[in-house]
Amino acid sequence: MSEQTLTINGVSIDHRPGETILEAARRLDIDIPTLCHDDRIEPVAACRICLVEVEGSRLMQPSCHSKTQPDMVITTESQRVSRNRQFSLSLHMADTVSDRTIAEDANPNRLFELADIHGTAGLWPHVDSPRQGRPMDVNRFIHFREDRCIGCALCTRYCDEIEGVTAITLAHRGALTTISTADELSLTDTTCELCGGCIAVCPTGAMTEKAALAYGKPEKELEKIRTTCNFCGVGCQLDLNVDRDANRIVKVTPPPPGTTVNDGNLCVKGRFANDFIHHKDRLTEPLVRDADGVLRPTSWDEALDRVVEGLQGVVTRHGPHSLGFVSSSRCTGEENYLFQKMSRAAFGTHNVHQCAAT
Amino acid sequence: MTDRRREEVLIRIEHAGGLATGVSNDVHAETGVPEADVYGVATFYSLLKHPSEIRVCQGLSCHLAGSGEKIDAMSATDTPFLAAACLGRCDEAPASWDPQGENPLPEVHLTAASDELAINLAGVDSLSYEGLAAAQDNGADWVIGELEESGVTGRGGAGFPAHIKWRGVANQPVTERYVVLNADEGEPGTFKDREVILKRPHLVVEGLAIAAQALGANDIYCYVRGEFGAVRDTLEAAMEDATTAGALDTATTWHFVDGHGAYICGEETALLESLEGRRGMPRMKPPFPVEAGFRGAPTLIQNVETIATIPSILTRGGAWFRDLGRTEPGTKLYCVSGHVQRPGVYEAPMGISMAELIDMAGGVVGTLKAFSPGGASSGFLPASMINVALDFGSLQKVGSMLGSAGVVVLNDTVDMAEAALVQAVFFEDESCGQCAPCRIGTQLVRQAIERFRRGDSDALEHIAEIAPGMEQGSICGLGQAASLPLLSAMKYFPNEFESSVHT
Ligand SMILES: Cc1cc2nc3c(=O)[nH]c(=O)nc-3n(C[C@H](O)[C@H](O)[C@H](O)COP(=O)(O)O)c2cc1C
Ligand code: SF4
Ligand code: SF4
Ligand code: SF4
Repeated sequence: MSEQTLTINGVSIDHRPGETILEAARRLDIDIPTLCHDDRIEPVAACRICLVEVEGSRLMQPSCHSKTQPDMVITTESQRVSRNRQFSLSLHMADTVSDRTIAEDANPNRLFELADIHGTAGLWPHVDSPRQGRPMDVNRFIHFREDRCIGCALCTRYCDEIEGVTAITLAHRGALTTISTADELSLTDTTCELCGGCIAVCPTGAMTEKAALAYGKPEKELEKIRTTCNFCGVGCQLDLNVDRDANRIVKVTPPPPGTTVNDGNLCVKGRFANDFIHHKDRLTEPLVRDADGVLRPTSWDEALDRVVEGLQGVVTRHGPHSLGFVSSSRCTGEENYLFQKMSRAAFGTHNVHQCAAT
Repeated sequence: MTDRRREEVLIRIEHAGGLATGVSNDVHAETGVPEADVYGVATFYSLLKHPSEIRVCQGLSCHLAGSGEKIDAMSATDTPFLAAACLGRCDEAPASWDPQGENPLPEVHLTAASDELAINLAGVDSLSYEGLAAAQDNGADWVIGELEESGVTGRGGAGFPAHIKWRGVANQPVTERYVVLNADEGEPGTFKDREVILKRPHLVVEGLAIAAQALGANDIYCYVRGEFGAVRDTLEAAMEDATTAGALDTATTWHFVDGHGAYICGEETALLESLEGRRGMPRMKPPFPVEAGFRGAPTLIQNVETIATIPSILTRGGAWFRDLGRTEPGTKLYCVSGHVQRPGVYEAPMGISMAELIDMAGGVVGTLKAFSPGGASSGFLPASMINVALDFGSLQKVGSMLGSAGVVVLNDTVDMAEAALVQAVFFEDESCGQCAPCRIGTQLVRQAIERFRRGDSDALEHIAEIAPGMEQGSICGLGQAASLPLLSAMKYFPNEFESSVHT
C-alpha cells in the first residue's frame, strides 16, 4: 500500500490519521499563529486566528481543530489567510486594553506579540464590552481583569481538563460572556487549588498574580532564573522572576509546556508559597542559645559543633537508636541520600525518614 | 453515569426557581456536575437567569408596531421587565410575554384549507396515522426513497435535503440512534412551527414516529421553545392521544424538553449541547449530528415543518409533494408580519413571488419599501425585487436567503439604518459568545450603526473590513449572517447611509 499524503503550501507530507492541520504544519516547521490553543487542552477554535485555506472548502478551516485527510491541499500563507489573521487581531484588540504599555503592565501579551509578526487590519473603535469582573472576590492570589479578557476560555478549560478542578467557568453569553466562579464567590471559597495555571495559559494577562501586580514591575522587565522547586520530590522546574535592581523575587512562573517535566504546570506551593523568601522573620544566619537561653547569631562552625555535641551526648547516654532523623520534603534527592548516610554511618541508626514518604 | 445526570442540570435549575445564590451548589450536589459548571449553564439561558420578569419584544416586527414606545411606557412603571430579542409572536406585534402568565395566542390568519397543501394548517388533524402504517409496511428504504422523490428540504433554515440526513443516520454502523424535533423556533419574524404544532400536532407526532421507525431510534426528543408553553403541552397531549388510540409503537420513548430562552439553541448542535445539559454553544462540524449527535450517537434533527410534511409525502407520494412546488419542491409555510394588512402563516407553492405573498396577506400597509424574506439572517431586499421567487435557490442568488421564511414587510416610513440596528441588537443579544468574530463583531456592528445615527458619518467605514471577516470566520450561521442586515441595507439604500444625522 502506498503511503497516503497531503500537501501543505505545496510540500507533500505523509498523512497521519487523527492529526490536526496545526500538528501536520509543525512537522514542516510551518508556523500558524494561535491565541486560544494549548497543546495540552482540547481545541475549541474560538479565536479564529488559525484559519487556513483547504481546497474544496468554501470556508477557511481552523487548523487547531480540523483533522487532516489524505490528499488534502492546505494553504497556510495567502492573502486570504493573512487578511483573516489581521482581522482577528484587530477584532481582539477592539475588545481588550489597546494601549500596549498598559496591556503589558504585568504578564506578557500574546496579542501584541502576534500583531508585531502579522500586522493588523487597523485599529477599530474599542467595544467596551459589558463583561463583568468579580469585585467581591477577595482571594489574595489571583486577580481577574475583565477589561482585558478576550474570552478564549483557556483558563476555564485548563482548570477543567488539566487541573480537574473546574473552579471557574464561562458565564453569561454573547458580549456579556465572562469568567466566573459559582455565584461569583472568592476563588478561595471554591474548589480552586490556586495552582495558578489559569494565569499561565491566559494570553492577555487578564488572569494575573495579585502580589506581582501590586509590586508593579512588568514581567518582561524581570529576569527569569530557572530552578527546581524544593517543596517536594517531583522536581518541577520553575522560573523565579527576579527584579535585579531590588534583588527580589517578584513571582514564580512555570517554564513553557513541553520543555520540562512539569509540562507548564505547578501547584500552589511552587507557584505562590514564596513570600517567606523576603519575610522579615526569616532566619538568614545560624543562631545558638547562650547560657541564659537567649538566641544569638553565631558562625556555622559553632552552630554545627553544638549540634554534634548534643546528638553525640544522646547516643552516649541512651544508645544510637534513641535518635531519629526526619528530613524535609524540601530536600533534594541528593540531600536525602546524604541525610540517611549521616544517620546510618555517622550515628549508627536506621531511624531515618523523609516527611513526604507518608 | 454523571453524563446522564448532567442532562438534568437545566430542568433542576428551573425547578429550583431559576438562578439564585446557592442553587448551583444544590444542583451540583444532586448531579455531581461541578458547581461552577452549573453556574455557567444557568447564566447562559435567559429564562434561568431571569425566570420571572415580563418580556417585551423588541424584534423587528414589534419594533415596527411600536415596541419602542411600549418599552418606554413600561420603564416609567415599577413593573420589572426585560426587553427581549424576539418572542415568536410577530403576528401580534408589539408582543409581550409573562413567564408566569397564561399568554394566550390570538387566532392567526391562515391559508384556507385545501387538499393541495402539504401541511394544510386549516385542515382537520386526524389520528389515522396512515403514513406511519405505510412506513411500517414498506420499510425504511421505501420511506427514504419517497423522501428523495419528494425533494423535501429542511424547513428550519438551511434547506438541506431531508433524505440525505435520513440515509446518513440509517447507514451508521451503530444501533443507538436518536430523533430530535427542533421546535425552538426563534428566528425573528418566524412563528410557523408554533402554528403547525397548535393546529396539526398529529402531523408532527406521526412524522416523528415515522422517523423513529424508519431509522431504528428508540428515543424521540422534542425540544420546544421555552416561551411556547401551550405549544409543548399540545404536542405532548397529541402524543398521548395517539398512544391511547394505539397508533404509536410503545417501544419508543418520547421526551419533551423545554428550551430556556436562547435563540442559538435553534442551531442544531447548540440544541444538542443544551439537551446534554450544557451551555448552548454550537459544536464544530464535522462531525455532523447524523454521525455523532445526541450523546455522541447518530441523530436525526429536523425542523417541525419538515417533519410535518412527512405523513402526506408517504400517503400521497413523493411525486405529489414535488409537484406542489413551483420553483422547488413542495408547499412552504411563509410567516408574514410587519407592514401588512393580515399578518399570518400562509402556505403556498415553494417559489411564490413576494408580490403574490403580500397579496395573500392582504396587501401592504402604506407603500412597500423593503422586505426581509427569511428572518433577521436574510438581510433586506428592496421593493424593486418584489417579483423574486421565495425559494432557497433564488434568494441565495441575490445574496439573501429563504431561511425560516419569516417574511417581514417594511413600508416607506421605515429608516433602514434603524431597521438594521434592530437586527444588529438581536444578533448581539443572542450570540453565544463562543467565537470572537461573532461576539466582538456583533458589538462593533451595532455600535457603528449607533454612532452613524448619532451623526458620525465615518462610523460605518470599517464595516467593509469587519463584515466579511465575520462571515468567513464565525463558527456558526449566526455570526456568519449577523452583518447581512446592515450590508444589504447599505447596498440597496445607499442614500440612507450617506452622512445624515438621526435622533
Ligand atoms: C443561528 C441559527 C439558528 C437556528 N434556529 C433554528 C430554529 O429556531 N429552528 C429550526 O428548526 N432550525 C434552526 N436552525 C437550523 C438548524 O441548525 C438545523 O439546520 C435544522 O434544525 C435542521 O432541520 P431541517 O433540516 O428540517 O431544517 C438554526 C440555525 C442557525 C445557524
Ligand atoms: S488557580 Fe488553578 S484551580 Fe484555581 S481557578 Fe486557576 S486553574 Fe483553576
Ligand atoms: S481570562 Fe485570559 S485565559 Fe481566561 S478567557 Fe480571558 S483571556 Fe482567556
Ligand atoms: S457564530 Fe456566534 S453564535 Fe455561532 S458559535 Fe460563534 S459566537 Fe456562537
